[in-house]
Amino acid sequence: MSALVDDATLGPRIADYLQQQVGHPVRVGAVRRFAVGFSWLTYAVPVTGLQGGDDATELILRLGPDYGLFAPYSAGPQVMAMQSLEGTAVPLPRAYWSSDDAAIFGAPFMFCEKVSGAAVVPWVAAGQPGLEDGYRQGLAEQFTDILAALHCVPWQQRPIAALAHGITAENAALRNVEQWEALIARWAMRPFPLADWGIRWLKAHTPVAPRVAIVHGDYRTGNFLEEGGHITSILDWELVHLGDPHEDLGWASLPMYMGGSKLICRLAEPEGFYQRYGDKAGFEVSMDSVRYYRAFSLLKLAATHMAAARCFEEGRFNDMRMPAMGSQVATCLRQMEKTIESTR
Amino acid sequence: MNNSFPRLIDGMCATLRAEVLTRLDDEFARGQVFGVINLLNTFKVRADWSAGFLLQQIAAQHAALDGAAALLNEALPTPVPPSTPIAELLALRDAQNLRIAALLERVDAERAALLPESAAQAEALLRQAMRAEVDLELRNAPRPLFAEMSSGTEG
Repeated sequence: MSALVDDATLGPRIADYLQQQVGHPVRVGAVRRFAVGFSWLTYAVPVTGLQGGDDATELILRLGPDYGLFAPYSAGPQVMAMQSLEGTAVPLPRAYWSSDDAAIFGAPFMFCEKVSGAAVVPWVAAGQPGLEDGYRQGLAEQFTDILAALHCVPWQQRPIAALAHGITAENAALRNVEQWEALIARWAMRPFPLADWGIRWLKAHTPVAPRVAIVHGDYRTGNFLEEGGHITSILDWELVHLGDPHEDLGWASLPMYMGGSKLICRLAEPEGFYQRYGDKAGFEVSMDSVRYYRAFSLLKLAATHMAAARCFEEGRFNDMRMPAMGSQVATCLRQMEKTIESTR
Repeated sequence: MNNSFPRLIDGMCATLRAEVLTRLDDEFARGQVFGVINLLNTFKVRADWSAGFLLQQIAAQHAALDGAAALLNEALPTPVPPSTPIAELLALRDAQNLRIAALLERVDAERAALLPESAAQAEALLRQAMRAEVDLELRNAPRPLFAEMSSGTEG
């Protein structure tokens, strides 16, 4: 296990690293850590002189510590995805430097542009009102259009093609289920027969994808920034992969992200969402595939909660939100079973 | 709950010391936090998960395994002793879950060779047991406070 560079010495280390990258001295101000996320650590890094003068800018540094939820980490997939999406209709921060060499900051890392805006929280407290209608509908349209744009990107000629490993429209679902089955085997601290049963059902009912696309993997409210009603950036690309675009639709439609409403991610009426998405993405949405991937997403979410419980139990984190997340495995598996039942 | 009782207590105490006390200036409030830590440490050595809750889960599993074993010509499960330490109950719950998973896998794999009615009944019993386990888990869990945990404010 490599030691993460502590917050106080991180600034000078960043200055040294950036100087090597740009070939001239830079000054780094007080590094500020954001208190969000359970996985990658996120820091705001004020830098002066990146362009060689007195220019001031703020970068985002993301570190994937070996005690994090999904550790061990690699910056590779998200950087490849972000580079692949430059110049497309998907708004996202520009990725700069990255490395998996833990000798530099004690963990894999990536630097990217800081984009302005705030996140809309997916969870609401009991009795909290929904979003104002005009604002919500505006965000819903952008949320839908950006997802469709992501799934239309011709990835075959871009860096993310390195993640293809022989994926096809026919094998995309099975490969995905097998990957999460292996993660559950690694993370579960006790047997979950309902998860085993769900995995068998998912393997026996794999749909053929309409195309192989870049799948965000965690596309929902909370993972984009908005400013003045405009989505300025899609964030958190750590679960990005190639697969069936229906997977992102299934994930976005999880009841956990509806905030007590009937709206997808607290934003979009389901019927309009699928219709608009299909028109923009250029294929007819299969509701059977959406339900399949909703069931899969519930298994994936259960697995994430198993990871949280293990991460806490092994003492890698004392963050009390982790066991709280870990206590939600039963909720996800129950919903998964109901979703599967609804397809029979 | 998927974490062990002592680890949760350790985590709560560590969080209170490292994340709360370091940001709390009021002397009385700090005293209250130390009082809570003291009590949590007492719970760690004197308390454990509820046996009643676990026994309900185990009874549901046992009834299903009993029925399914008869339908599938398998050995009947061993009865649960009336008074058993929590650690043994947890181990028993896990062992019975492994058995449920194995029998369901067998039903799936050998469905064509089994009597259709026996296969269907055994599957229904085992799935009912899985459902009972998660339903009991959900009935014994408070409303999650994810909105409050994300915002740090009372809902």
